[in-house]
Amino acid sequence: MAMFDETVSVIENRPLPGGHFLLSLDAPRQAPNVRPGQFAMVRALGRSDVLLRRPMSIFDVQAHGGGRAGSNRKESALRILQLLFKIVGRGTRVMADLKSGDKVGLLAPLGHGFFEEEYLPRAHESDEVLHVAGGIGIAALLLPAKQLAEARFKQRLFFGGRTKDDLVGINEFKPVVSAMLLATENGAMGYRGYVTRPLEDYLTKHTNKKFLLMACGPSAMLRATVELAKRFRHPCLVSMENRMGCGVGVCLGCSIRVQGSGHEAYQRVCTEGPVFWSDKIVWDAESSGLGIRD
Amino acid sequence: MTNKSQLEKQAPDSGTVNGPAVTTPPAGEFIPQYEIEIAGVKFQNPVWTASGTFGYGREYSQLIDLNQLGAICVKGISPEPMDGNPPPRIYETDSGMLNAIGLQNVGAKRFLNEKLPFLRKLKARTVVNVFAYSTEDYVRCIEMLNEGEGIAAYELNISCPNTRCGGIVYGSDPKLTEEVVAAAKKAARYPLFVKLSPNVTDIALFARIAEGAGADALSLVNTFVGMAIDVETRTPRISNVTAGLSGPGIKPVALRMVYQAARAVKIPVIGIGGIAGPEDALEFIIAGARAVQVGTANFYDPGTSIRIVKGIRDYCQRKQLHLADLVGSLKTPGK
Repeated sequence: MAMFDETVSVIENRPLPGGHFLLSLDAPRQAPNVRPGQFAMVRALGRSDVLLRRPMSIFDVQAHGGGRAGSNRKESALRILQLLFKIVGRGTRVMADLKSGDKVGLLAPLGHGFFEEEYLPRAHESDEVLHVAGGIGIAALLLPAKQLAEARFKQRLFFGGRTKDDLVGINEFKPVVSAMLLATENGAMGYRGYVTRPLEDYLTKHTNKKFLLMACGPSAMLRATVELAKRFRHPCLVSMENRMGCGVGVCLGCSIRVQGSGHEAYQRVCTEGPVFWSDKIVWDAESSGLGIRD
Repeated sequence: MTNKSQLEKQAPDSGTVNGPAVTTPPAGEFIPQYEIEIAGVKFQNPVWTASGTFGYGREYSQLIDLNQLGAICVKGISPEPMDGNPPPRIYETDSGMLNAIGLQNVGAKRFLNEKLPFLRKLKARTVVNVFAYSTEDYVRCIEMLNEGEGIAAYELNISCPNTRCGGIVYGSDPKLTEEVVAAAKKAARYPLFVKLSPNVTDIALFARIAEGAGADALSLVNTFVGMAIDVETRTPRISNVTAGLSGPGIKPVALRMVYQAARAVKIPVIGIGGIAGPEDALEFIIAGARAVQVGTANFYDPGTSIRIVKGIRDYCQRKQLHLADLVGSLKTPGK
């Protein structure tokens, strides 16, 4: 697996509503090697108090000059790596201040994404792929959705947030999926309530279909999604998040509890993940380290 | 004056003594020596990676040239595999981080079969960090590891702050330190380094005890016990509640302890604690460390140790000094 550790330049750090940012990095070595669902470790340089790189899903990769990756993904001209993030703590607050031309430490691409060998066959068996995203979790799902669109998969996005401002990146999804079902807790956009409600309705209506669920978001949303997948007997891939020290499997700081005993009881989100089969994970907030702020 | 003293210094060294074969330099050119020797083992340079921050070496092989390192200290190995602590296990602090991993590792047997063959081929030496919960298990772990070929030394971890018994319990009790070091030394086929805990009142005391019990060298410091709290939920940031603090924030305290330990013993001392650049490493060496270990910096800048190797080289060249001349060369006022 090719990964590159380099100091790279910020091309643009575009502010979006709700404290979100779309950070575009000039990364000619990293961008062409990204597989859907992989992540980057990134750090704004020049701050000695904020040390650790932050793990972030790779939202998109593009060709020089802002051309869409789309059907040209294989072209070597891919050189822009995009990260979509939200200010949640001091690491992301520092990153929000990044300006065009600033330098960042970038280690990417990392991790086990959505289309690794053991996952792909299940996608082919499905009638439709259902993406389920909560808030900034959307960042993990665009690249897989694009790749599936290229292969003419039928796809649907279920996307929930607390408010309208949490529903970032929907413009990028529009050309890729056949339908989008949005939900906000205050009802300002789409369904009022949790995104798992329209998901449940959809699964109830189509019990004869085979779905593959791909989910990323807050732990409560993931747990509810996984419950639905289990109840309706559909395979479900989840992209997990955790604090990380290194991103390459040595610090063991991001380990989460998985099915298994003894020394097989934990797996690293950075290396064995971030994408896991949902039934591999022990969904207990106490022991899984989920629901971390900052 | 400066020129004269440099010339004088140069004369006896230009033929090189213990170092590797060096082509005869042109007259007047100074070739600094970086190779070091500890307990009869030669290391090509004094820059090592610290246990727990560098896996089993291979993980970083795509990112840096491992052959440029002096040594790799592998993740603490216990007799049997260990699963570690429940998450959350890490938390960033100002200029540092807390961790309570709980020594998740593959165990001695799998280390020998799966990890050591790769490490053995490197120019960097392999130092195996050894951990257990009892003196018998420390000895058992070493006996298992003795079967392995190509281990440069053991680093006895009597200072892990994140496991319920063992670890720091040994490193903060003079009697237990003496007992476990003596037993480990007796069992060890390879030289024995002892990694000391900074969570003691008098580091010189523990340094002397370890030396007296047979340690071939000391490495210090392991992490400082600390903690952090999420005030919104009133829960600890780390599931273990307390955790080990590392990173640049601890460097001044670690440096002071290395200085004190190096003055207390005759055996070599290896300096660890917040080293993030050449200048940090040089400070430890000048304070008395014969080698240094880079830890937390590996996480956020994997190229740090290689940059330090180059930085020390540049410094020695500029100062016209061999590394050995630097060790413990601190000039204290009035002395």
